[in-house]
Amino acid sequence: MRINKLLAVLLFGAIAFASCTSESPILPRGDYDGGILISGEGSGAGTGSVSFVSDDFETVENLIYKKVNSTELSTYLQSMAFDTDRAFIVVDNQNTITVVDRYSFVKEATITEELATPRFMTVADNKGYVTNWGTTDAFVAVYDLTSYEFIKKINIGFGPERIIESNGKLYVSHQGAYGSNNIISVIDIATDVVEEITVSDRPDEMFFNNNGQLVVLSEGAVQYDASWNVIGNTIGSISTINVSNNTIVSQLDFASGQHPSLMVLENNTIYYALSGKVYAIDIDATSLSTTEILTAEGYLYGMEVEGNSLFTLNASFTDLSTLNVFDITTKAKTQTKSVALGASKIYFN
Amino acid sequence: MKKYLLFTAFFISTHAILAQNDSIRTVLKEIIVVADKKIDNSNGYKIQVLNDSIITKNTESFTSLLRFNSLIYLKEYGYGGTSTASFRGTSSSNTAVIWNGININSINNGQTGFNSLTVSLFDAIDVRSGGGSIEYGSGAVGGTIHLNDQLLYKSKKVIENQFVGSMGSFSTYNSLYKFKISTEKLALKLGISYNESENDYELLGTDFKNFNGAYSNFNMSVGLAYKFNPKSELKFYSTSYVSKRLLSGEIPNPTGANEKYKDFNNRNLLVYNYQNNQFNHELKLAFLTQEYQYFADKNAVAFNFGKSKRYLINYDVAYKISSINAKLTSYSEYESVFGKTDQIIEKNRRQFSQSFIYNQNILNTVFFDLKIRKDFNSDYSVPNSYSFGMKAKSFKNVSIRANASKNYRVPTYNDLYWPGQGNVNLIPETAVQGEFAVIYKKNKFSADLGVFYIAAKDKIVWTPNGDATRPGVWTPINLSNTVNKGVEFSVSYAKNYHNHFIDFTANYSYTEAKDKDTQKFLIFVPKHLFNGSLGYANKRLSFFYQQVFTGEIFTTESNSTDFMLPSFFVSNFGGDFRITKNIQKEITIGFKINNVFNKYYVTQPRRPMPNRNFNLNINYKF
Repeated sequence: MRINKLLAVLLFGAIAFASCTSESPILPRGDYDGGILISGEGSGAGTGSVSFVSDDFETVENLIYKKVNSTELSTYLQSMAFDTDRAFIVVDNQNTITVVDRYSFVKEATITEELATPRFMTVADNKGYVTNWGTTDAFVAVYDLTSYEFIKKINIGFGPERIIESNGKLYVSHQGAYGSNNIISVIDIATDVVEEITVSDRPDEMFFNNNGQLVVLSEGAVQYDASWNVIGNTIGSISTINVSNNTIVSQLDFASGQHPSLMVLENNTIYYALSGKVYAIDIDATSLSTTEILTAEGYLYGMEVEGNSLFTLNASFTDLSTLNVFDITTKAKTQTKSVALGASKIYFN
Repeated sequence: MKKYLLFTAFFISTHAILAQNDSIRTVLKEIIVVADKKIDNSNGYKIQVLNDSIITKNTESFTSLLRFNSLIYLKEYGYGGTSTASFRGTSSSNTAVIWNGININSINNGQTGFNSLTVSLFDAIDVRSGGGSIEYGSGAVGGTIHLNDQLLYKSKKVIENQFVGSMGSFSTYNSLYKFKISTEKLALKLGISYNESENDYELLGTDFKNFNGAYSNFNMSVGLAYKFNPKSELKFYSTSYVSKRLLSGEIPNPTGANEKYKDFNNRNLLVYNYQNNQFNHELKLAFLTQEYQYFADKNAVAFNFGKSKRYLINYDVAYKISSINAKLTSYSEYESVFGKTDQIIEKNRRQFSQSFIYNQNILNTVFFDLKIRKDFNSDYSVPNSYSFGMKAKSFKNVSIRANASKNYRVPTYNDLYWPGQGNVNLIPETAVQGEFAVIYKKNKFSADLGVFYIAAKDKIVWTPNGDATRPGVWTPINLSNTVNKGVEFSVSYAKNYHNHFIDFTANYSYTEAKDKDTQKFLIFVPKHLFNGSLGYANKRLSFFYQQVFTGEIFTTESNSTDFMLPSFFVSNFGGDFRITKNIQKEITIGFKINNVFNKYYVTQPRRPMPNRNFNLNINYKF
């Protein structure tokens, strides 16, 4: 049964939001100040891990947590969250969040209390909010990030994934864990009141655009009959939501059978992936793109954009993965680096 | 008996050899009855026999028994957790476990969990290296492990009882009881065993204990043989097994573990045999069920499951060609399997197989077997299997053995039907292999030095993007081709000197297993495997020392040194003292110290194995 869980877990990963808040300091705050952090989920072949790539791509260091702390993170490293000085490493099968100094990667604490398949975390007002699939019911677990003590659970619908905070509210996408769900939970931090917005099936990546609207990528689900034959597909969409009244103001639907993933925002452009190809549209676009920017190599499992550079992860679960960086204008591949096993997320430190 | 004489060379240990010189046993004429005669057609193969005295010394687990006594690599997810075995650098689905002649690998994943069955009730376990698909079907590629019940006819009625109990560290209790009646015509054996452990050993190098690792299991077995007349005989074997295991956690947060696993197995076999001067007919009927339940949360009622039912009918006829000292045997078998899981609706797979085996003895000097098998399967086409084996005496103390065969492993139910991920277009993996060895035997010294070569193709590998029409989805495909080469060396020596008896055994293998395309070493294959044991006994007292060395292994395809498991060297030490011994009863008490040097070792990353631990046992025969 482990393989079942493993495969399912591996299936549903995608890219997170970069948490890029650091300004240029005068002195480096640790070996990993600046640069890019790449998290890998790990697999039976090796531990989940974090790789460091310097801004000039001259230095690549794998297994930085293990190097600094002489211990492994185990599997599956789902995501990381950051505050000013700390990184929070979420490892789902271990029901553990490991807290490290984000620039030196020295371990500061571990959080394990009440976690049950934790997926993503966000930090607001020195509190950590963590989505959990749960053993029976899904929830957001809340922690005090000074004492690292558990504060409470907020129950939500099944299969929660990403979580972001805006204006005193938490937004959670419910991809649906092993199944399929179609809601965004909106949690009022002050009152714990939960509202739901219905979107297309399997919502995953979310961000706020420059107009303060919530943009959600839903992958769409594959439908099976009792014998697990594919009998149809529900559509995937990019939905734009007005958060003052939680209604969808516009929606771009993908063709049936298309299952987009890995949406990111950079400079008013939305980038997303479809069958290994990367597409870009303007945030105000009224239709999807028909021409890809380029085709990524191998198993496209993580993506980020910074300026004119497209970062893609060709994930391997039996070996180190590959980071490929492309120039979006010329479409030329500018860098190729060996990074974390099962690489899935890119963060700019 | 023939079997025993034939394989004396490979007796791994003779710690209890004094007990076997028991006067009552030598006076009585006894005939050993086994269910599986196919293993006798193993000329040219290496077979190690683990006899009951070794088995009762390693009642703690099947995994430990094999790790300390055979050249099999065992990968264990923490002590008592999921455990898989591989021979000669092949994959764990290339190891077949054979119960009284029937392949019992799971329909769902094609493997046997080596902590999902107890073996303490078996009388002998044969470890046969090399291909055996002709006799045992799918998965018999790297080697086969045979669990045999033995029944005894004796010229005078004898009733035997045996109780073995032990208690040890981590609240571990093992117990078994065997009852046997032997007469000239009837042989009956009953056995029950129960084992349990908290298994909460200290995880060396950490502040944690092995959390959520407790297990318990119960096993019951019956064997019956009845001889109607010198020509016809009926045998019946049945066993039931129930186990509950918690699945332990790993570093850094072992306390996060919360899973539970249950197994329910039932196996029944009826054999009728009729023989006359030239013909031997055998009819076998078997019914086997297997079920696992997996609880992601041990306290919840919800679980995932896999279930299978197998019906098997088998007819063998052997014809002796006395004039040329040869024998021709035909095996016909029909099998119907029903398998399902909570996510795969019941599928029925039917298979008919026909094989022919020709044995020839040339002047008692050269013995050889020629075998061929053809399968007809309702799900896919199965390649034909061939095999050749020979053994020849050359000089006085030297003989040679050689074998070559083509074997296969069919896709499992999971490979074919896993929801949204299975691939019904898979074809069976096939492997062609050969082995050559020289044996030296003199008095109580024997040595066997062999080389092997295995070329496997169309290995089934789960990979993302395996199917172009399902991007991003993990699916199994026939992907890799591998070549395994190696050397194996086994030596044993025993000496009896004025009531002092010593014996020594050692096994070593060097394996180079590579992916044919990348030329990288295969993952989870140690180049070096070594184990050995040294025993000493006088009239009442005996001691033994056993050790295992497992070389370092790669876990990534590129053989990255960042992801290696270190080698380990672990030793056990034990001793027995016989309190009483006479015709009516024999009582022995013993102790065992496992991991006597308190070494840190892992067979899976982040899962330290038990630290030094102790065990006391009593063996009472009456």
